[in-house]
Amino acid sequence: MRPLARRAATKKGGDPAAVDTGILVNVAFYASVSIIFAVLALGFNLQWGYTGLFNAGIAGFFLLGAYTAAIVTTPLDPPTIVGGVVIVPGHLGGFSLPFAFGAIMAMVVSGLAAVLIAIPTLRLRADYLAIATLAFSEIIRRITTNLDTVTGGTNGITKIPRLITFDPPNPFANAMVVLGAGAALVLAAFLVLSFIEESPWGRVLRAVREDEVATMALGKNTLLFKIEAFGIGGALMGLAGALFTLTIPYLEPSNFAPALTFSIWVIVIVGGAGNNRGAILGAFLIYGMEWASVILKDYVPTAFKNTIFYTRLMIIGVLLIVLIIYRPQGLLPEKRRVLK
Amino acid sequence: MVEPSETEPSLETRPHGFRLSPIHLTAAVRRQILRGLIVVAIFITFVAVLAAIFGISILQYTRDGFRVSAIVIVAAIGLTLIYGIRGFANFAYGDLMTLGAYVALFVNLNARLSIVWGAITSFLVLILVGIVLEVLVFSRLEGRGPVAPIVASVGVGLIIQNGINAVASTDQWLYSIPVVGDVPIVPGLGINWIRDVTTFAVGFSFMASVHVLLKYTNLGKAMRATADNLELAKATGIDTKRVTYAAWAISCGFASTSGVLLGLIGVVSPQMGIQYLLLVFAAVIVGGIGSAYGAMLGGLVVGLSQEMVVPLLVWLGEPDVIGLPHADAYKVAVPFMILIAVLLFRPSGIAGRQTAIVPRGVVTGAIAKALAARRAPIGPPGSDQKGG
Repeated sequence: MRPLARRAATKKGGDPAAVDTGILVNVAFYASVSIIFAVLALGFNLQWGYTGLFNAGIAGFFLLGAYTAAIVTTPLDPPTIVGGVVIVPGHLGGFSLPFAFGAIMAMVVSGLAAVLIAIPTLRLRADYLAIATLAFSEIIRRITTNLDTVTGGTNGITKIPRLITFDPPNPFANAMVVLGAGAALVLAAFLVLSFIEESPWGRVLRAVREDEVATMALGKNTLLFKIEAFGIGGALMGLAGALFTLTIPYLEPSNFAPALTFSIWVIVIVGGAGNNRGAILGAFLIYGMEWASVILKDYVPTAFKNTIFYTRLMIIGVLLIVLIIYRPQGLLPEKRRVLK
Repeated sequence: MVEPSETEPSLETRPHGFRLSPIHLTAAVRRQILRGLIVVAIFITFVAVLAAIFGISILQYTRDGFRVSAIVIVAAIGLTLIYGIRGFANFAYGDLMTLGAYVALFVNLNARLSIVWGAITSFLVLILVGIVLEVLVFSRLEGRGPVAPIVASVGVGLIIQNGINAVASTDQWLYSIPVVGDVPIVPGLGINWIRDVTTFAVGFSFMASVHVLLKYTNLGKAMRATADNLELAKATGIDTKRVTYAAWAISCGFASTSGVLLGLIGVVSPQMGIQYLLLVFAAVIVGGIGSAYGAMLGGLVVGLSQEMVVPLLVWLGEPDVIGLPHADAYKVAVPFMILIAVLLFRPSGIAGRQTAIVPRGVVTGAIAKALAARRAPIGPPGSDQKGG
């Protein structure tokens, strides 16, 4: 995944208040992107931590949500044709609906896609699900890259409208608005998930994860529960996609490579599978590593600039291996629920 | 008491002349050969029909399809070996292919040796890598289910890929091989010595060697037994550790060769293997996990279907049909659709064994349920008997 941290707009001239605002904007950006990762991780946690369904295509559902939200909220952007040749393909758009619509449509599309993928694969083994979801996310990314006229192809979708437009443009206020929206959404998601996970429905999910045959023997239609869990997880990933369009007002297919999926795996494993608080904490930790690596880039000789990027991914690889062998329950393990 | 000479065929009754030793032409083998010939005949007819519709250029795509199939078959055999013996899908396999290609590139360009030496060195290096992976990582994950080794293999893949990125940059490279033009056979179809003949030859020889290994050597038999049932193989006294190391060696060696072949027909870049990973997975699942012969068939199906669908896609891309932009790029979706179809109808694949609890595909399961419900009307016991 390309480094996402933006250069903070520090004003030259040394006005301390302006510099502080610049740093604050940067930190707010870090928090907003961490929130996106956190929502993705919450969705994956529901699918894997709670229900035991290993989704290797998180990037695909994220992409669907982001592009849906973008298409719903952007104004018309026809292709730029010069002399009969399409220079910049436009994209589907022109609805210009508010962000709430975008978010809801994103959740619906991603959730539906999750349910459709789930139906042929959930009855089968965990690794078939992983392969099928990985294939799905890669195919979706290819389609997005090639369906120029709808998605803008490799150019992506630009000029996504902000939630509130300030006049004159105020980056600090923008950052605060985005952070506020993100924080509200992640808090809402966390509360809703906590509620349904402690409910009878959530108990059946955990039972399915521990021993599906026993749960079936108790008369539960486990396939239905698994499809529901997978679908809700997918919808959460779509919501994260909608948040992404708020935080970073342009989309392109390279943002949705499989490395994103693997980062979410690390986040959930670090935070502890089945633990929502851990998922949010893990998101801030792991994205913190990426954000720090981008800041570090400035202080490192040119020869090593790109190496930092690759080193960060190698560290994620090592983390995956070490954690899965030695501490698969993560830093904050799930609380064991014992009937008293 | 039976005289031994009565049960053994005497020298006079053995067929004279050239004997297909050690393959005895029993009726079963004859039936298999006949089936194979029928399939080949059907395929040739199919291609002829397509040529009539789309023109002679279909042969070009068929040749491309065989090229891709050869590479996918070699890779799929390696992947399915580990899948059968260690029981997990090795998500690092694409990156292992890339690593193989890069090691050969290093030998080819830096040591200025022929690519053949590069391929051999790469094979040996990857054997080492495979054994190291087993010792350091995967032996510690035995018995943890299918997901934990997948996560570990993803980690391994990330390390390999980004290591390559850091050392060799993201540029594309070409092997230093003699430039050879296509030999035209038919107008519109050319065969390239390096891209086609070498690929086919290597593919065939690897397939044949795997067949000999699995069927006629003790190691091969031990591998088949271990893939079948690990605990039973251990109980029978098979050294499963040795078998597992051998499987990793062969798996990674085959990965390196398919990576080098891939580099021969195209360019060497850090993403080259991952682009093929899904294709190889599709081939393995279509053919049946753990079966090398299934991998061969699956590779053939998947490679041919991906390439031969291009004329159809190009036709779809024309403005008066659908006007799909970049239509030929969708060819990668075809193996994916075949994969989903296999998961829906026959998840154990072509050569896979149906386990006792049959994992029926969704569609066949639903059909079977509907048929069963039709046959046995539900009612209180005894009510459908005469007399009441």
